[in-house]
Amino acid sequence: MSFYIPIGPQHHVHPEPLLMKFKVEGEQVIDVEINVSYTHRGIEKGFEYRDYMKGIFLAERICGICNAAHTLCYTQNIEQLLGKEIPPRAKYLRLIVEELSRIHSHLLWLGLAAHQIGFETLFMYVWRDREKVLDLLETITGNRVVTAYNTIGGVRRDITPEIEQKIRKSLDYLEERTKYFKKVVMEEPTVLVRTQNVGILKPREAIELFAVGPVLRASGIKHDIRADDPYIAHDEVPFNVVTYDTCDVYARILVRVDEILECINMVRYSLDHLPSGEYRIRMPVIVRPPPGESVSRVEAPRGELLHYVRSDGSDKPYRYKVRTPTLANIPSTARMLTSRGDYIVYIADIPIIFGSIDPCLCCTGRVMFIDIEKSKSWVWTYNELVRYSLKRFERHD
Amino acid sequence: MIEALYKIIEMILFPGFAFIGVLSLLYEWIDRKFYARLQNRIGPLYAGPHGILQPLADFIKLLSKEDIIPEGADKFLFTLTPILFFAINLLLTLFLPICGTTGVISFTGDLIFFVALLTIISILVYTAGMASTNRFATIGAERAVLQLIGYEIPFMLSIVSVAISSRSLTIKNIVESQSSIWHILGPNFLAFIIFAITAQAELERIPFDIPEAEQEIVAGWLVEYSGKKLALFRLGKDVETLLLCGLGATLFLGGPLGPVVPGLEIVFYTLYFIIKSIIVLLVLTTLRALFARLRVDQMLVLSWKYLIPLSLISVLIVRVVF
Amino acid sequence: MPRPGYMVSEIYKNLLKKRATILYPFKERELVHLPKGFRGRIIFNRDKCIGCQMCFRVCPAQAIKIIEDERGKRPIFFMYRCIYCGSCAEYCPVKAIELSDIFENIAFNKKDLLVK
Repeated sequence: MSFYIPIGPQHHVHPEPLLMKFKVEGEQVIDVEINVSYTHRGIEKGFEYRDYMKGIFLAERICGICNAAHTLCYTQNIEQLLGKEIPPRAKYLRLIVEELSRIHSHLLWLGLAAHQIGFETLFMYVWRDREKVLDLLETITGNRVVTAYNTIGGVRRDITPEIEQKIRKSLDYLEERTKYFKKVVMEEPTVLVRTQNVGILKPREAIELFAVGPVLRASGIKHDIRADDPYIAHDEVPFNVVTYDTCDVYARILVRVDEILECINMVRYSLDHLPSGEYRIRMPVIVRPPPGESVSRVEAPRGELLHYVRSDGSDKPYRYKVRTPTLANIPSTARMLTSRGDYIVYIADIPIIFGSIDPCLCCTGRVMFIDIEKSKSWVWTYNELVRYSLKRFERHD
Repeated sequence: MIEALYKIIEMILFPGFAFIGVLSLLYEWIDRKFYARLQNRIGPLYAGPHGILQPLADFIKLLSKEDIIPEGADKFLFTLTPILFFAINLLLTLFLPICGTTGVISFTGDLIFFVALLTIISILVYTAGMASTNRFATIGAERAVLQLIGYEIPFMLSIVSVAISSRSLTIKNIVESQSSIWHILGPNFLAFIIFAITAQAELERIPFDIPEAEQEIVAGWLVEYSGKKLALFRLGKDVETLLLCGLGATLFLGGPLGPVVPGLEIVFYTLYFIIKSIIVLLVLTTLRALFARLRVDQMLVLSWKYLIPLSLISVLIVRVVF
Repeated sequence: MPRPGYMVSEIYKNLLKKRATILYPFKERELVHLPKGFRGRIIFNRDKCIGCQMCFRVCPAQAIKIIEDERGKRPIFFMYRCIYCGSCAEYCPVKAIELSDIFENIAFNKKDLLVK
């Protein structure tokens, strides 16, 4: 006898709204339907109503955790449109903040993964030690999570020698702790049995289903935008692309943990080789790029992030498009969550398999109105949304 | 007449229901606080000094909440199960030798009765899940029974090896046989380890909180319960914790026995019992902090591949030695 | 080599450590170390302001409104709309706007969150 169980839109492991309808037979999952359209915030449309400078702060709010990657992608796009090259020091500073927020994101994910397999103690320890990297980000940029660091033409603050000392000190601590966590993951048998041979994604499937980021690398495919299409200072700072070929959740944990160690080395290297000079070229408040279009790719903590912009010569983008890594990983998740042949997915594996792609749904939602009775569907424009929201809520002033 | 009155006081006040209620809430606090400290957190803090009243506050809060019976549920079973769950747990505590070598109730072969009722508690978990007809609750109930198949046999065998070494199935005799040396210090140490692991499963705590796995099936068999019924379940769970810690202390750590000042036996016995059962509780809490949750099939593999052979070996060793 | 209970020494070490939690309603304010340059509540210096309206133009959240007082044009700040990006402070030509390290910007009344 099979029946359906819903995970979401409200579920305590995945606080973000998403509905997964599982067809289960006893403890086994047979089939899954995933619906991601619960949050649509009109961000792409929102870009078209803001000038380029204000757009940075909107891009930052696409995703809270990988905000550094989003602003980096956005500013690179606009700089390409304007034909400006940022100073070398700014490139290194951007890299430092990008890699620090990658450490932050991966540690957060490691804690959540421990939580999803019911390992509360590891969860608490990881999140306690994550505070160190948040403190670093706070010292460099002025805020714990939402950094507001990248801007068109460079970065907004410089790193002083005291800050550099603090970074080095904290990195030593983080390296030691990360190595310890890696040992825990590799030696604790309850973690091993819960993650090995769970959530298998074969290399061929990973390519067919357009998996990106750590999910792809855990399937043994060497693909990293930082190495394949270097941006900012990645062509100068050496690092290894971490791959594992067991294709399961265990490999995804190890890929991320090893990436943290790589990031720590990258930040150290860039502190050693930090060029002197300007960290920013001043831009006017209103920039008017020439008509044209531009695409930029960044390796966000969750995978390949793509921004596209089209300019018509005015002070606002004509079209802005964001493709986030989670959206790219959803089809492969559906494959991982379906039992086939010898590969059986249990209900108990659902949280960790879905969690293993590091889902961030706030940047994924797509919306459409559907009237079932009249079988009609339509999309609201920005003005209609604004009118609707003004009607519902009175203005603030 | 006086005898009967004395018995009633024993049952209701000390060491009966009132005492057990207070003690079980205290044990929940110790469990939570110690667990939190192992994880470098604070734990309960605000209700009372160091949050010692937090379990009571939670209980009272739950009592005041709205009590909902879902439309599809079997109303009779749904209402009956929490009451039975609490009542059986409370009844079983009367067997614990808290302030003397005998509990409030004691008869020859009471250990068998005790263990039989413990199994019924797990069956009640199944009933509770099935009566609420929620999908998550159904899955939780199925898991509870599957898990029962896994941990019940090693649990019983660990008790059997104690019974063999003291040549009795009566709790009173088991306690008295430990007056010279505790069982845990002898060949029964292996049995104690198995007892601690299977007690985690009986109590549904990490790594065996499979039936109520919060991250997978929300709260499992508890998902539809609210208000007073949930409060009863929660208190019942606390009493069960006390029960198993007490049983561990009784079987392996010599129960209430220890050096006493003549005339004050009751105070000393109670104190020893509490200290010993808290030691068992701390062992259980440490186990809880060390592991990730197992899947139900892995749990069965663990118990049939490792725990049952180990407990058989333990029985064998004890049989050879004694 | 898998070893059950790998973290056992770690958890007992942590038992003896001081807890990592800081009691929030600031019984332990001294444990909160805010770095220099933290972006908190806006502090506005009326004497320096020249009324150029630059802050109003760069604010991405429309948290700034320009009003007229006896000395000419000046901004007021709605902290409940502010996203703490620090653009206004960055673009102010006379440094009349500064971001302080006050991060508890919550009130029962919206008027308490106006910076004048």
